[in-house]
Amino acid sequence: MGLITEKLPGIIEPVPGGSVLLSSMDAVINWARSNSLWPLTFGTSCCAIEVMMASGAARHDLARFGAEVTRPSPRQADLLVIAGTIVRKMAPRLKLLYEQMAEPRYVIATGSCAISGGPFIYNNYSTVRGADEIIPVDVYVPGCPPRPEGFFYGILQLQRLIREGESIRRPGERRKPVLAALPAGITLDQIQAELRELLESKAQVKLGASATAGRG
Amino acid sequence: MEANELISTVQSLEPAATLRDKVDRPAMSVPKESVPALMRRLRDEPALSFDMLCAHTAIDWHNENRIELVYQLYSTKHRHYLAVFVSLLRDMPVVTSVSDVWRIAEWQEREVYDMFGVLYRSHPDLRRILLDDDWKGFPLRKDYKDEFMLEAPK
Ligand code: SF4
Repeated sequence: MGLITEKLPGIIEPVPGGSVLLSSMDAVINWARSNSLWPLTFGTSCCAIEVMMASGAARHDLARFGAEVTRPSPRQADLLVIAGTIVRKMAPRLKLLYEQMAEPRYVIATGSCAISGGPFIYNNYSTVRGADEIIPVDVYVPGCPPRPEGFFYGILQLQRLIREGESIRRPGERRKPVLAALPAGITLDQIQAELRELLESKAQVKLGASATAGRG
Repeated sequence: MEANELISTVQSLEPAATLRDKVDRPAMSVPKESVPALMRRLRDEPALSFDMLCAHTAIDWHNENRIELVYQLYSTKHRHYLAVFVSLLRDMPVVTSVSDVWRIAEWQEREVYDMFGVLYRSHPDLRRILLDDDWKGFPLRKDYKDEFMLEAPK
């Protein structure tokens, strides 16, 4: 893998048709990466129960998305799920863990605490106001705690980001994070109307077509 | 032991102990001078035998300028609970350690020292336990402030 991602672009690029080949290799590599995320077991408070334990257990079954191989060592993991509050004493350790993970590495911040400090944002002496003050975050999953479904949506977003994002020509460059925050000026009524429209338009399903489309 | 009986037994050991109302379990306030001796008798008296210190913490009544220590006791033999409250001056919160009565008190007192700045006489190792060693101030005191803290908007 290291040979392909580091040496190959320089060799193939000048050859006629090389960039086409590289692009299709990008697609294959990103597809492989996105379907075998290995998360690090790193839970610091209540969100860990929901995100690491409930999601991994039989009822919700994280294995459906190929992300169930949780590793207790950062050197074997490529997805850091920040599940819980990050306190100032934890911050250097979190940074260390992140730096120990091999490239390419991805970060999902779950729960208000990891996004912004959440319930502990004001008058608090210990809580870091958002994990992205310490390390770069790719996907934010809001909630306190997010339901496992919400977390899965976050994983699917991350998989989308991986598939569309990086190229072996420019490793480390990604699309912008999928932000959880709403753009300004959008009201609840608009969201509800749009959702209703979406649900109605999706209410009719052609079984044959949707079975193949779902594979992605 | 029934609650009434428990309370009268404690009062016979320490006449200055007063009953606190509005609590769901027997709770007594005792003067701080009586702490180590009374605690030892609470543990050793066969009818009481409070052999477990479930929790030890503090409350900061900063308007009244006092810090109140809470000792939650439990007897695994008789299965009864007792809460003991000790009031200290907020500017000089000094009390004798009970770590030689219950070993677990050693760490719990370190935590109360860490968060409230209560000083324990004859504690074997009174250091900070959760915060960094060079931390300034005691964050669970109600008037604690530092430059990291964010004020809530009014
Ligand atoms: S976001 Fe809520 S559930 Fe998650 S760690 Fe923070 S307080 Fe706990």
